[in-house]
This record gives sequence, structure tokens and C-alpha cells, in this order.
Amino acid sequence: MKTLKTLLFSLLLTAISTVGFAQGGKKNEEVKFKTSAVCGMCKATIEKGLAYEKGVQKATLDENTKVVTIQFNGSKTDAAKLKKAVNDLGYDADDSPATARAYERLDECCKKDKGAH
Amino acid sequence: MSSYIRQAAWALTLLGLLLPFLASAQTLTGRVMDQEKHTPLIGASVLWVGTTQATSTDADGFFTFTKIPSGATALLISYIGYKPDTVQVQGQQNLVIRLKAETDLQEVTITGKQDRYSAMTPTNSQVITSKDLLKSACCNLAESFETNASVEVSTTDAVSGAKQIQMLGLDGAYTLLTIENVPSLRGLATPYRLNYLSGTYIDAIDIIKGMGSVLNGYESISGQVNVRLKDPEKTDRLHVNLYGNSLAKWDANVNTSFSLNKKISSVLMLHTDQLSNRVDGNKDGFLDIPLGKHYNVFNKWKYNSGGPIISELGVQVLTENRIGGQKDFRSGMAQVEGNPYGTESETDRVSAYSKTSYTFKSKPYQSIGLILSGTNHQFDSHYGPRTYFGEQNSGLANLIFQSAFGNTAHTYKTGLSYQYEDYDETLAGKNYTRQELVPGAFFEYVYQNSKNLTLVGGLRADYHNLYGWVYTPRFNVKYDFTPNTILRLAAGKGFRVANPIAENVGSLVSNREFMIPDNLRPEKAWNVGGSFTQYFTLGERTGAFITDYYYTTFQNQVVPDMYSSPNLVIFTNLNGRSFSKSFQAEVQYELTSMLDVKAAYKYFDVRTSYNGQLLQRPFIPNHRAFLNLGFATPFDKWRADLTAQWFGERTAPVMEHYHESPIKTRTVSPYAVFNAQVTRAFKLWEVYLGGENLLGYKQKNPIIAADRPFSQDFDASMIWAPITGRIIYAGLRFTIK
Repeated sequence: MKTLKTLLFSLLLTAISTVGFAQGGKKNEEVKFKTSAVCGMCKATIEKGLAYEKGVQKATLDENTKVVTIQFNGSKTDAAKLKKAVNDLGYDADDSPATARAYERLDECCKKDKGAH
Repeated sequence: MSSYIRQAAWALTLLGLLLPFLASAQTLTGRVMDQEKHTPLIGASVLWVGTTQATSTDADGFFTFTKIPSGATALLISYIGYKPDTVQVQGQQNLVIRLKAETDLQEVTITGKQDRYSAMTPTNSQVITSKDLLKSACCNLAESFETNASVEVSTTDAVSGAKQIQMLGLDGAYTLLTIENVPSLRGLATPYRLNYLSGTYIDAIDIIKGMGSVLNGYESISGQVNVRLKDPEKTDRLHVNLYGNSLAKWDANVNTSFSLNKKISSVLMLHTDQLSNRVDGNKDGFLDIPLGKHYNVFNKWKYNSGGPIISELGVQVLTENRIGGQKDFRSGMAQVEGNPYGTESETDRVSAYSKTSYTFKSKPYQSIGLILSGTNHQFDSHYGPRTYFGEQNSGLANLIFQSAFGNTAHTYKTGLSYQYEDYDETLAGKNYTRQELVPGAFFEYVYQNSKNLTLVGGLRADYHNLYGWVYTPRFNVKYDFTPNTILRLAAGKGFRVANPIAENVGSLVSNREFMIPDNLRPEKAWNVGGSFTQYFTLGERTGAFITDYYYTTFQNQVVPDMYSSPNLVIFTNLNGRSFSKSFQAEVQYELTSMLDVKAAYKYFDVRTSYNGQLLQRPFIPNHRAFLNLGFATPFDKWRADLTAQWFGERTAPVMEHYHESPIKTRTVSPYAVFNAQVTRAFKLWEVYLGGENLLGYKQKNPIIAADRPFSQDFDASMIWAPITGRIIYAGLRFTIK
């Protein structure tokens, strides 16, 4: 009985937090990160990777400025999650560094310290 | 009608908008240098990413594009012995690109470019990419060729379920199969070899048509299929693939990779497939496909110091058993008249290989590599009352030194090899043994001029303990009329010792007696041919047109003669002529950004002298057509594929009235097979649903005298069409990168 109570309580909490979270986010939000992309292949990797993230409507990387612009549904995700998603693809996002393993797996030409361009 | 006019108007408007861009195209020049030594690299390849526009650097390392293809923004620069690099152009007109020397052993250099027909290799090469592999049904090598026009996969008999590849209309045995460029699955493994590698082990497959390099031995005659396995450094941490089909056959695959430290990484790949459902769709009393259990483990290790030494080690262990025959047959039943007829086979195989390369520090184009491999293969089987047991032990050592004369326009590879083979086969109580000890040496010279010509000349000399000196010359020429118009020529010789029983396992499922004389000589053939490739851009979309022709003529061949008598398979040395003429024309084009089309037509004329009479090889159709439509939404969230294959009329032997000479043949009618698959991808998951042989075309009465399996007439090897009807399958993939 006690476990059931705890379970119900935690469910309730989750529900509240979800609602609270949903209220915080608007349907069409936008966020920009400066990334460590170096080439056209990076653009493809980042845009494809973000396309599979929950709540992302569109992601575009500007190859000149290395800034990725993400349009997303704020009730499904948030900027912090998206920043982590970029890191997990192997790229820095603003001050947050790339996940080491993901970075190692990138093609040689996509690694920031290898490219001479 | 009005919609057509509207479309035309739109097209014109679009053209008008595009014209200014085309007119404003500018010249781009650049130079490719060695990063450390600042010396120019001659003959480096420069490609516009996403297009087929390419050129190569001249004697001073310079390259020029007079026109920048619209939409192209980056160049991919690659060169033998160096790491490829991508460079953003962004309005620049002069570029200096410095490439870093690479420390990796690549006997056959395939660049990172994902064009299915490579513009760079001197041979007529194609790549089946990892994306292409996902288009076909799970989970073995045979199915990997489903969406490729150059390689055919056919069933050898109606009982054992063995599948063989064919290239240039010739048996799979004439195609050299290599794994990571190490010859493998040879000899006794040939009949079922396509089963022994799971599709989930494979990263990509290189197909070389016609004569290739002398580096991998003298055996290849029609071409080479090289399987690249998953790279422990790059592959997914976890990949799971589960598959099931409407016959109740299921597959499970798990790959997992890990790094011990910065230098050592490993991938462990597991596969099993099982069928325990008795399927007899054509109601002839025989199972359409055998019951089976297959367990397969592959473990690959890589050592990469980041320095001059790279090492790779692979170990594979597999066990497989199959039970076929009449529905009521159970394992172990006595094979006598009155009991159900059955076939059983068990394969146990252990193999390992290692590759180590050392690259000289001051000379990135110079390296030395050592390849070692060893295998124990055991095959234990019976086909009705006939038993066949085979064991093969093989070992191979290959030492390759690669360097350049003066400058990198003249490179060469040379080395020594040693091949050991020990065969022990017993068929119906008769023992056949053979031991081969073959030391050899080879030399291959590559000339690459600054722009458009590559010449490859190779020669190997081997001393075979049974057959004496074997000389194998091979030549390849590649000439680029323009970067988009490429001509390739190939000529050379191949040599192999046939394994008559293993290569004709299908014929064991009959009551034909195998007549194997002691005087069989090795097979020798010349293969001459060439290909013409035209890359094109049509309405902003790129495509390729490839046509090739190959002529193979045998000086000697071990001919399995099933024409002369319905009760015998008579193996003889070639007495007369035996040849294959193969023509193929293929177009690949991206119709829209979401739809890819491949269409091919093939013509084969394959003839062999049987008993002094030059006849069409049985069951090889003269005409074939192939169509593949590949559909993918942006980011590949949805993918769909449809493949159609049409086979023209073919010749089959007539078994009735065999005592009348000359030998009689008949033609069997054309048919088509359709396969399709749909995949939906999520972040970690993919689900797929597909169908093979959608129209359900089946050969009527594939087994001769199916009701009298112990009679003289029984024969399940006269197969030219599918035996199972439509198969629907579904599966899922789970990946953690």
C-alpha cells in the first residue's frame, strides 16, 4: 500500500512538473548556438542529428558563421537539451564542449583541431 | 493538360533564374602540398563534394576548375598515403591545400566518397555502401547484392538452400572473395559461403569487375568482391537487429564495440539464424528451404598508435547445421527405399587473420605490411544415401612493400607470399586428398600522370608444388577524357585449382554419380574487357552511365557435364572452347532529391564444350534487366526501395530420351522477381517491413521425380527460378552510437 502511495505521488509530481514545464515553453521557439563545425560534412551531420531530436522542427547551420539555428517546440524540449544534443553529435555548442566519444568518432575532416581551414 | 503547361512555364522560369548563376561561374585554381615537407603532390584527386565534377593535380601539384558546379561549396582532396581533406571554397579563387600523411594500410584504396561507381580507382569498381546494405532483407551476404546489378545471386538446388554469386555469367568460384582484402571463404567453404557473413558485420562491399590486382593471388578470374567489416574505432557501441519472416525464419544480431584504451579498440559481432518450421509451399513433399540453426561470432581488434604502426586482428567461429529433404524426414533416419529422403549438413569453421602495417616516417608513401591468415573448415553431410565429408586447413602469409620511384607519379607494390592448403574429402566412400604449398612473389607498378592517365601493370610468379610455375600477368589502364568521362581497360590471367565436389554441391542432391578422374588439371583463363563511365548532370541532378564488356576465355576448365547422361555428373578437362561474353549498361540518376533510380540491362553469352559439342551453359539467361527505385525523405526518416529483376529465356538440359544423341536442350520461359522494403527511422530505433518475390513466381516441379527420391531419375539440381513464393519480413534495429 505504501509503495502504491509513493508511486501515485511520484506520478502526480511528474504530471505537475510536465504541466509546469509545458507552460514555460511556446510552440515555436528558436535558439542559436555557435558550434565547432568545420566543413560541409559537419553541416550535414548536425542538421541530420538534430532532425531526429524530439521537438525539433528545423535546424540550419550557417557554414560561414558556424552558428546553428534551431526552431523547436518549447513544450517538448528546451535549449539545454538541444545544446546537449549538439554536444552528443561531437560538436561544441557555445561554451559547452563536445562529448569526447562522439568527437572521436567524427571523420578526420570534421575535427576542429585537425582542419587547416 | 493545363497542368503540363503550368509545369512547363515553371520550368522555364526556373531555368531563367538559374542562367545568371551558370553564367557567373568562375575559375578556381589551387595547389595540393605535403603538410610537413611542403612538396607538391602529383596526381592528387580533387572533387566537388556532392557532385561528380573532379580533376587531379598536375606535375607541380596544381589544379584548375574552369567552372564551379552550382551548389558546390566544398572540395574533397584525396591522395594515396594521405588523409583526405574537405576544404570550403567560399568565393576564393586560389587555394593551397596541405594534406597530412596517413598511416594506414590500404591495398585497394577506396576513398571516402560515397559514389557507388568510384571515379578514382583504376579498376571498374563499385561500392555497396552501408546505406545500400540496409535496403535489402536481413541478414547475410547473399542478400547484400539484392540492390546491385553487377552481381547475381542464384540458388544451386531445390533442397540444400545453398546460394551462389555469379559475375560475368560465371560461377561464384571464379570470383575472388576477400574480407578486409584477405582472401577468405575459399575452397570447401564455397557452397555456403554467402551465409557465413552476416549483413550486420559489414560496413561496405567493394565489387571489382574484370581483372584486378596481383596482390591477392592468382585466383580471381571474373572479378573480386571485397567485404569491409565494421571498424572497431568508428562503429556503434551497440547495434541490435532482429528479423523475422513469414516462413518463421528468424535472425538475431548483436554488435558491440569498446575501447580498451586510446590505442586498442574491439568490436564483437554475434549472429544467429534459425528455421524450425517445415515449409512446403509447392506441395511436392519436399521442404522448400532446409531447417537450420546457425551461430556465428566475429571478433575484430584494432591497434592504432597514432604513429606509424597500425594492426588489425580478426577471429571468426561458426557452426551451422541444415536438414532438408522430404517433410517427414527426421535427423538420423536410415536412407533406404521406403523411408523419407533427407539431407543433413553440419559446418564447423574457425578462422583468424591479422594485418600489420608500418609507414616510414619521412616517406608517407612508403609502407610495409604483413598479412597472415589461417582457417580450419569442416563440412559433414549426407544427401540421401550419399555421404560427403570434407576438411580444409589453409594458411596464408603475404608481405607487401609499397613505395615510389623518384616522385609519386611512379609508385609500386612488391612482395612475397606463401599459401598452404590441405584438403581431405570423402565422397560416397572414396577419398580425395590434396596438399598445396605455393610460395610466390609479385610486383605491381602504378604510373599516374599529372592529369588523366593511370597505368597499372602487375606480374606474379608462384611455384605450385603440384603444377609447377604459375605466371600471372595483369594490366589496368584508366584514362579520363574529361573528369566526367572515364575509360578503363583491363586484361589478365587467372589460375585456380578446382574443387569439383564442393563447387557442385547442388548436384549431390540427385542420384547422379560423380565421375571425378585423377587427371583434372588446374583451371586457367584470360579475361579482357573494359568499361566506359560518363557522369552527367541533367536538370541540376547528377547521374552516371556505365557500360562494360568482358570476354573470358578458358585455356582449361574443369567442366561438370550433366548433359551427356542423366545418371552421371562427368568431370572432365575442357575439350574445345569455353568462354563468357558479358555486356552491361547501367544508368543511375537522381530523379528528385528523394528518388534515386538505377536501371541496367545485361547480356550474357556463356558457352562450354560438353563432350566435344559447344553448348550454352545451362540456366544462364542471355538477357537480364534490373530496375531499382530508392526513395528517402529528408534525413532518411522514411526510406523505401523497390527492386525488379527480369530474366530472359534460358537453356536447360532435356533429361528424357537422353540416349538419343546429340545432346538435347530446351528453353525455359522468362520471369520477373520483385522485392520491396520500407524503413522508418527514429533517433535510436529503426523498423522495417519488406517482401521478397512479391508476385510469388515459382518454378513448377523444381525437383525431377520428387515422388521417387531413391530412383535413378531423382534430381533437385535443375533449378532456374525461386522455389519459395512470396516472403514477407519485418524487423527492427536499435543503435547506440
